[in-house]
Amino acid sequence: MSTATSEFIQSLPTAEQAIARLRELGMPRRNNELWSFFPVAKIPTPEFMGTDFATVSAASPTDQASPTAPAHSSSDEAVQKETDFAALLPIANQARPMIREIVPGAAEMAMLKCNNDFGHTVLEIGKGAKVSLEILDNKVTHDIAAERFDINVGENADVEIFFANPACDLPLRFRHFNINQAAGANVRFSSICRDTAIGRISVECHLKGEGANFDYRSLHILDGEASQHSRLTIYHEAPRTVSTQLARNLLSGSARVSYDGSVIVGYDCTGVNSSQLVNTILMSEDASVSVKPVLKIYHDDVECTHGNTVGELDAEQMFYLVSRGIPKKTAQEMLMRSFAQETFLPLPDSPAKKRLMAELEK
Amino acid sequence: MLSIKNLKASIEDGTQILKGINLEVKPGEVHAIMGPNGSGKSTLSKVIAGHPAYHVDGGSVELDGKNLLEMEINERANSGLFISTQYPTEIPGVNNVEFLKMALNSKRAFLGQPEMSDEDFKKLCEEKMNLLEMDERYRERGVNDGMSGGEKKRNEILQMAILDPKVSFLDETDSGLDIDALRIVANGINHIMSPEKAVILVTHYQRLLDYIKPTYVHVLRHGKIILSGGPELALKLEDQGYDWIEEA
Repeated sequence: MSTATSEFIQSLPTAEQAIARLRELGMPRRNNELWSFFPVAKIPTPEFMGTDFATVSAASPTDQASPTAPAHSSSDEAVQKETDFAALLPIANQARPMIREIVPGAAEMAMLKCNNDFGHTVLEIGKGAKVSLEILDNKVTHDIAAERFDINVGENADVEIFFANPACDLPLRFRHFNINQAAGANVRFSSICRDTAIGRISVECHLKGEGANFDYRSLHILDGEASQHSRLTIYHEAPRTVSTQLARNLLSGSARVSYDGSVIVGYDCTGVNSSQLVNTILMSEDASVSVKPVLKIYHDDVECTHGNTVGELDAEQMFYLVSRGIPKKTAQEMLMRSFAQETFLPLPDSPAKKRLMAELEK
Repeated sequence: MLSIKNLKASIEDGTQILKGINLEVKPGEVHAIMGPNGSGKSTLSKVIAGHPAYHVDGGSVELDGKNLLEMEINERANSGLFISTQYPTEIPGVNNVEFLKMALNSKRAFLGQPEMSDEDFKKLCEEKMNLLEMDERYRERGVNDGMSGGEKKRNEILQMAILDPKVSFLDETDSGLDIDALRIVANGINHIMSPEKAVILVTHYQRLLDYIKPTYVHVLRHGKIILSGGPELALKLEDQGYDWIEEA
C-alpha cells in the first residue's frame, strides 16, 4: 500500500468513532438540510446501533465544512467533518474497506461489487491514470443497505464512474461518494436509477487542484411508489475548476425525486465555472419532484448557473409523431427515450456511455 | 377520394375558424388553396389531421368513404392522409431515419403488412433521398433538429415519399425554399404524385404552381371557400390580390 493510501486510511474514522459520531448526530431529521427532502420516517434503526439509538436526540442542523478549512490531519478531526448519516453507516458497521490502488499512468476498466449490505471502497487513482469504473449492486440481506466510496483521483487522471443497475426493490439503499480530485483530474459520474423503493445517493466532491473537472449526470426513471433522493455538494477549492450537474427525471405513478445540489466556491478560486440543471417530466398527476439549488460563492470571478424545468411530454412533438402514423404509446416511448438519451449524449465515447445508452435501449 | 362537407371547427376559446368548408378531391387531382393570412388554411390542415387544439363543431371529412374525424390521429395517417405543417416540429434526440422507419412500419402494421426489413428500408430511403437531393447528414440528425426552414420542408417531402400517402395536404411547403430547393421539392412532389393519389397545396404564391400544375384553385377566406376555379385563378390572384373577390 502506498504512503498516500496508508495516510488516507489512517484519516478515516474508526468504527468506534463512527458510532460515537452517529450517536452525536442522531437519526436523520427533516430539519437537517442534508435530509430536508428525504422521507426520514422510513429509515429503520440500524440493528448494530442498539435499540436505544432511535431515541437519541438529533444534533442541531450541521453546516457544511468551510471551503477554506484545513485538510484532515487526524481521524479525530476527520470524524467531526463527517455529517452524513449514510456515509458513516458502513464504517460504524465495521465494513472492512476494500482498497484498490491504480498506479500512475495505468489504463484500467473495473467493476465493483460489495459482498455485504454495508460496503466501503477506497480507491487511489494515480497521476495520469485512465479508469472506467462500473459499480454493480451489492448483495443485500437486510432492510437497509449503505455503501461508501472514497475515491482519490491524482493529477491529470481521467476517471469515469457509472452505474445502471437493474431495478431494485430494496426497502432502503444509501450510496455515498467522497471524491477528491487533484489538479487537472477529470471525473465523470453517470448513473441511471430505476429502483422501485427508497434510495439516496450522496456525493461530496472536492475539486482540490487547479483545472479539476467534475461532470455529474443522473437519470431517474421511476414509477409506482419509488422515492429517490440525490444530495450533491461540490467544493471548488482551487482556481479554474469546473463542475457540471445534469439531472433528468421521468416520473410516473406517485414516484418522487428530490435533488439537493450545493456548489461552494472558495476564496481565491478564480475562473471557476459551475452549472446545475434539473429537467423533470411528470407523466402522472401524483408524481413529484423537489429541487433545491444552493450556491455559496466566496470569490467574484466565477460563473455559476442553475436551472430547473418541470413539465409534461411536449404536446406538439407528440402530435407530430402520431400524425405520421405512430401509435400514441410508441410515440410517448420515443420521446421519453430521447429525453433520457440526451442526458448522456455529450459524454465522450467510452464504456460508460456505451453501457448507459444500451441500458436505455431496453 | 377526400370529401370535406360543411366542416366547422373552433379553437379552445370558442372562436370559430372554419365556418363550413366544402371540398371534393378526386384521385389524380392537385388542389391549390390560397387566401389571405388568417383565413383558416393552416387550421383546415390541422383539423383534418386531428390536432387536439381544435374542436370540430360539425361536418365530415371522409377518405375513401371512411370518416376521418372518428379516427385516432395515427389511424388517419395510416389510412393514407399526410399533413405537412407550415412549421415542422423539431424533435431533438429522435433520429430522423429511426423515426421514418417507425412511421413506415406503423403504417404497414395498420395495413396488416409485415415490417420492412432493414435492408429494404435502407434502399427505399436512399432512393427517396436521392430524389430530393438530400445528403447523408439527414440520416444522423434528430427529426427536423437544427434544420433550416428549407431543410425542414425537404425533410417533410422525404416523409411523404416514404409513407406514400393517398392524399397529401402540404401547408406552405414552398415557404423558406430558395429557387433551387423549390425546384427540387416540387419535382419530388410531382414524382410522388400519381393518378391514384391527390395533393392539396396551400400556398401564397404562383411560383410553386409553376412547377406543380393545379387542377383546381380555391380561395379560402373567413373560414369558407369563397371561390374556386382553374389554374388561371392563381395567376389572377397573383396579379390582383384578394380584394376584387369580395368587391365582385
